[in-house]
Amino acid sequence: MRRDVERGRVEDLACGARAGGDPFVVDRPALEALAVSKRYGDRHALRDVELVARAAGLHGLLGPNGAGKTTLMRILLGLVRRDGGTVHLLGRDLDTLHALPEGVAGFVDTPAFYPYLTGRRNLALLARLDGDVASPGARQIDDALDQAGLGARADDPVAGYSTGMRQRLALAAALVRSPRLLLLDEPTSSLDPAGARDVRALLRQIAADGAAVVLSSHDMAEVEELCTAVTIINRSRIVFSGTLDELRRRAPASTQALRTSNDSGALEVAASLHDVDARAARDGGLDVSADPAALDAYVIALGRAGIAVRGLERRASSLESLFLQLTEDGPDPGAPASRDAARGRARAREVS
Amino acid sequence: MSRRGVRTVVAFEAAKLRAQFKPRAVLALCAAGPFAFVGAVRLQSTVPADTLFGRHMKESGFAAPLVVLGFAALWALPVLTSVVAGDLFSAEDRYGTWTTVLTRSRSRAEVFAGKVVTALAFSTLAVAVLGASSLFAGVLLVGRQPLVDLSGVLLPSAPAFGRVVLAWLSVLPPAFGFTALAVLASVATRSSAAGIGLPVVAGLLMQLCAYMDGPEAVRRLLLGSGFGAWHGLLTEHPYFRPVIDGTIGGGAYAAVCLTLAYRILRHRDIGG
Repeated sequence: MRRDVERGRVEDLACGARAGGDPFVVDRPALEALAVSKRYGDRHALRDVELVARAAGLHGLLGPNGAGKTTLMRILLGLVRRDGGTVHLLGRDLDTLHALPEGVAGFVDTPAFYPYLTGRRNLALLARLDGDVASPGARQIDDALDQAGLGARADDPVAGYSTGMRQRLALAAALVRSPRLLLLDEPTSSLDPAGARDVRALLRQIAADGAAVVLSSHDMAEVEELCTAVTIINRSRIVFSGTLDELRRRAPASTQALRTSNDSGALEVAASLHDVDARAARDGGLDVSADPAALDAYVIALGRAGIAVRGLERRASSLESLFLQLTEDGPDPGAPASRDAARGRARAREVS
Repeated sequence: MSRRGVRTVVAFEAAKLRAQFKPRAVLALCAAGPFAFVGAVRLQSTVPADTLFGRHMKESGFAAPLVVLGFAALWALPVLTSVVAGDLFSAEDRYGTWTTVLTRSRSRAEVFAGKVVTALAFSTLAVAVLGASSLFAGVLLVGRQPLVDLSGVLLPSAPAFGRVVLAWLSVLPPAFGFTALAVLASVATRSSAAGIGLPVVAGLLMQLCAYMDGPEAVRRLLLGSGFGAWHGLLTEHPYFRPVIDGTIGGGAYAAVCLTLAYRILRHRDIGG
């Protein structure tokens, strides 16, 4: 019953989002973090970071290791104090809250539980800790365990759980809070492929039910598969924020790994073509960025030039290429790696 | 911070303690230890005559809880009162569960207060079980004969019982002081070994300081002094000043230690 009421409330928000067409145009985001900054000593962990997530959507927070994703998630969950900026969770100012508000749930890092208790007992105790937020009954705990794919091992002590199982238990612990805003730090990082698939399906369902889901990841493919919006963070700053479609429009052509009988000759041929960007690869051969038609023309031109193609395989998807361009650590991070990346950075400056 | 929130945390911590071996083992030791001690003394030909009331152990069952109290005050009470308090906070660091606990609907203040109440409750329970067990052991194994007090006056059974209970109650305030010290050590060091060990070491050092010459005011500030305050209750004309000093001292230590511990926890970046 309570769940239904909450769903109704969430659907109101979700309907607002749908009515606006663009999920970024409704007036009350589930999560609104603006100009968030954090320093550890002299080191900036986050600089003027902005993250906005709407109801009924999956928002990816992408970045390489050490970019600041987990620090941001910790700040959003109230575990770490920020040095500047504002955070609103479900419309409530984090500064006025003493604990995580009802309807907000999540986890960071590798989730941990009391090893001497079973998974079910851990969950029951954590649900009790939520106390006057109408403690869930045994059935809701069972449902959460089943949804997280842990029902069969729920009565085993957590001491015997794998990291993946603890990750599932953390997801179940979040689900018993009937979240309308779910903040997850790399929720599939320790799961086997089948487990990761199940969790992704569950997250889609949670978002479809009206909740806002924010998940951090360094896996572009996962975010591309799941999310409708994405924020990319690198070196403690936001370098892109927008919908996945916007990101796709900015993405360069896919990168192909090309092996030829004459790499220097192949580079000269590429230089004579407008739509082909070929560079010597670090591991030998060439990295070629081109759309499919230009790539076809390039391969034919190589044949005409008497250069044999010994191998051609996709090295990275177009979004992965853009992600790498946005986050790679070159000698001059201000210099754009491509026109698209430059546009991405310009957008990032607008965002920040 | 709401009372309901604190009660919720206390229930949460109590459920965790019930599921662990160590707290149960400590309470079992408190319950069984005095019986083993009194039984052994009863079987042997000599008595621990070099301790207060030791020479009367075979004459009155009310001597046993006072001998146990005198022995426990040296180091057992600091251990008993630290064993849970010194682990309650640092265990969250050891298991990595702070992020799990603090992403529920309870504030840090409620979590802190709930844990402190749990620690104080366990200390009280441990002292109560040890005291009750040693009293029962004495009465059951030796008898309810009158007790010779420190003035050499024979105390009938009923007053002797009352004085013994008062003596055990008098060690609760300094015990709370040690509990708070353990909480502070646990929060500050994030180590259970330090949380349990530092108060014990501090207790022993305070005992040593108490044996040395020094200003009376300083001696009164020593937390361990309160553990000996009960001596004044076992005289013909009981005097309560040491008990009052021990109560004030225990309260002062608790206030300072808990304030510091809360400030550390409140400003801590979890996992950051």
